[in-house]
Amino acid sequence: MESSILDSLGVEIIGVMAPVSISANLIYLENPSDSATVKLEGSIENAIVFVVLVAAVTFILVLLFYYNFTKFLKHYMRFSAFFVLGTMGGAIFLSIIQHFSIPVDSITCSILLFNFTILGTMSVFAGGIPIVLRQCYMVVMGIVVAAWFTKLPEWTTWFILVALALYDLVAVLAPGGPLKLLVELASSRDEELPAMVYEARPTISSGNQGGNRGSTLRVLVGGGGGGGGVSDSTSVELQAVRNHDTNQHGRGNSHNMDYNAIAVRDTDNVDGNGDGNRDGVERSPLVASPISSEHSTAEVGMRGNVETVTDEEMSPLVELMGWGDNNSEEPRDLEESLNRGIKLGLGDFIFYSVLVGRAAMYDLMTVYACYLAIISGLGCTLILLSVYNRALPALPISIMLGVVFYFLTRLLMEPFVVGMTTNLMMF
Amino acid sequence: MTVAAGIGYALVALGPSLSLFVSVISRKPFLILTVLSSTLLWLVSLIILSGLWRPFLPLKANVWWPYALLVVTSVCFQEALRFMFWKVYKRLEDVLDSFADRISRPRLFLTDKLLIALAGGLGHGVAHAVFFCLSLLTPAFGPATFYVEKCSKVPFFLVSAIIALAFVTIHTFSMVIAFEGYAKGNKVDQVIVPVIHLAAGMLTLVNFASEGCVVGVPLLYVVASLTLVHCGKMVWQRLLESRNQSSGSQ
Repeated sequence: MESSILDSLGVEIIGVMAPVSISANLIYLENPSDSATVKLEGSIENAIVFVVLVAAVTFILVLLFYYNFTKFLKHYMRFSAFFVLGTMGGAIFLSIIQHFSIPVDSITCSILLFNFTILGTMSVFAGGIPIVLRQCYMVVMGIVVAAWFTKLPEWTTWFILVALALYDLVAVLAPGGPLKLLVELASSRDEELPAMVYEARPTISSGNQGGNRGSTLRVLVGGGGGGGGVSDSTSVELQAVRNHDTNQHGRGNSHNMDYNAIAVRDTDNVDGNGDGNRDGVERSPLVASPISSEHSTAEVGMRGNVETVTDEEMSPLVELMGWGDNNSEEPRDLEESLNRGIKLGLGDFIFYSVLVGRAAMYDLMTVYACYLAIISGLGCTLILLSVYNRALPALPISIMLGVVFYFLTRLLMEPFVVGMTTNLMMF
Repeated sequence: MTVAAGIGYALVALGPSLSLFVSVISRKPFLILTVLSSTLLWLVSLIILSGLWRPFLPLKANVWWPYALLVVTSVCFQEALRFMFWKVYKRLEDVLDSFADRISRPRLFLTDKLLIALAGGLGHGVAHAVFFCLSLLTPAFGPATFYVEKCSKVPFFLVSAIIALAFVTIHTFSMVIAFEGYAKGNKVDQVIVPVIHLAAGMLTLVNFASEGCVVGVPLLYVVASLTLVHCGKMVWQRLLESRNQSSGSQ
């Protein structure tokens, strides 16, 4: 008998939530120690400086992209991926070795670290690497950077998170925002958006059903840039790509479509999607192209003076069927040709992990509460994405929910629950 | 007491739900989303309740009636939320059905609806176990253990894990009963769920007495098994009915 729709709904959302959960947990394991608080003004100042730096770097990124310095960006990105994995990952390795007293000599250790770093650099932007490896390295990079972030003092961390969420909102949605400019530049040139993304699953269009050879969806995988301190992109730019529409107008430049249009079956918004899948009109393409830039965290006194702009660069991962096929798009059977896959920016991973890691430094209850808040914020953002079909910031909702839940749990829920359970009273 | 003991306590509380999750829920991504959202709902209800009760905390440890009041208000609030959850689910069911029609797939089967109810209940149960038991388990991974005077024969962690297991069962299956009761308009089912929840909450008050947990915990398990049995009977009946219907109509 036919399988019910219950089997297939929600697949893509889970694909993104799983790595977020993993990276959040691993952060907790890495940082068992606590830290002291700083003065209020000091932390606000830190947060402002941080956001200003992030904004400046993003503007530089936009400029570079505008003047077509893509080669430079590409190389810089590779360098920064190498650097992040090598130095920060190396420092974490060393502390793990110390903590668990693993007997290993320095030569072996450096060879292993080198291998790890090279493999990571390659998997992030080169083609032909299995997707699972790329996903793992994305998660690892997110964890590494977030682990460094949790060394920040507590108040600073919270202020930075809130400030970045606000910045993200402004940068993506406001008319002058750098990320919005970037998205528009990329889309007006029909170019790939430089981005470093986590891709939920390999998207291979099965658009060949029934002889339909439309231009299929190109998958772009962001390569690039981790590195350095902050991954700025934070904003998940969930960018709706109008790939499909342009194709339907018969423009045969399918091979120029470098967007990553990953259509998601719109499960939650069935009304908004009008005619249904048969017409091939209704899809909510989701592209999350996070733009991560790094900048040094010198201003918060952490370390490193690496000013690496991670300009992501997208290298086509998979050339789908129909490449170079200049046939105009026929209305396809969308049920089959929907590419499932959501992309989430690496910066978002990092800041989610920072939030959870900071919550972990207080108690496990706050960890669970913040984890649930982030996941639900992510779900809300995805729903909004399918409604609005344009680039959306992924940070604000999750971070705001996370911060609110953290403080509510810490102040309200904990005395309540602990008071009850120690008397063995539950409901 | 050690890592092994800590993991053991965690598995006592969450083992059955983990196996339920892996075998049933993880197959369908939509059910995972349902679990997550019902967990979130339970968390929000807990936060609201603790916000309401915060001015009165900490309660004196010798008097039992403030705790009784606490339990009663919390149970009432959560049952009201369960009803709202059902309303939201009803609307979602309509949306899903129309979506299924649009892509010409069959509408939600009875088993699908039962699965969604189960996932919702599991979310509640897991949230209970996590917030009432797991989050306090961190010291259990260390070298020592902890006893409460009211229940001095068993380590605190073990008792809370056992109680959490009972509550997980109750939450999971009473959600199925409740959804079916609301869907069919069956008064018995609709009423029995709050009654069970309240009874379970009240039974934990027995733990307040000295060595009360010797009596309280087995009674709690009686309630939990009652829930299980009732849910099983009800589901069996519904499945038989629907099979008769579908074979009768053919």
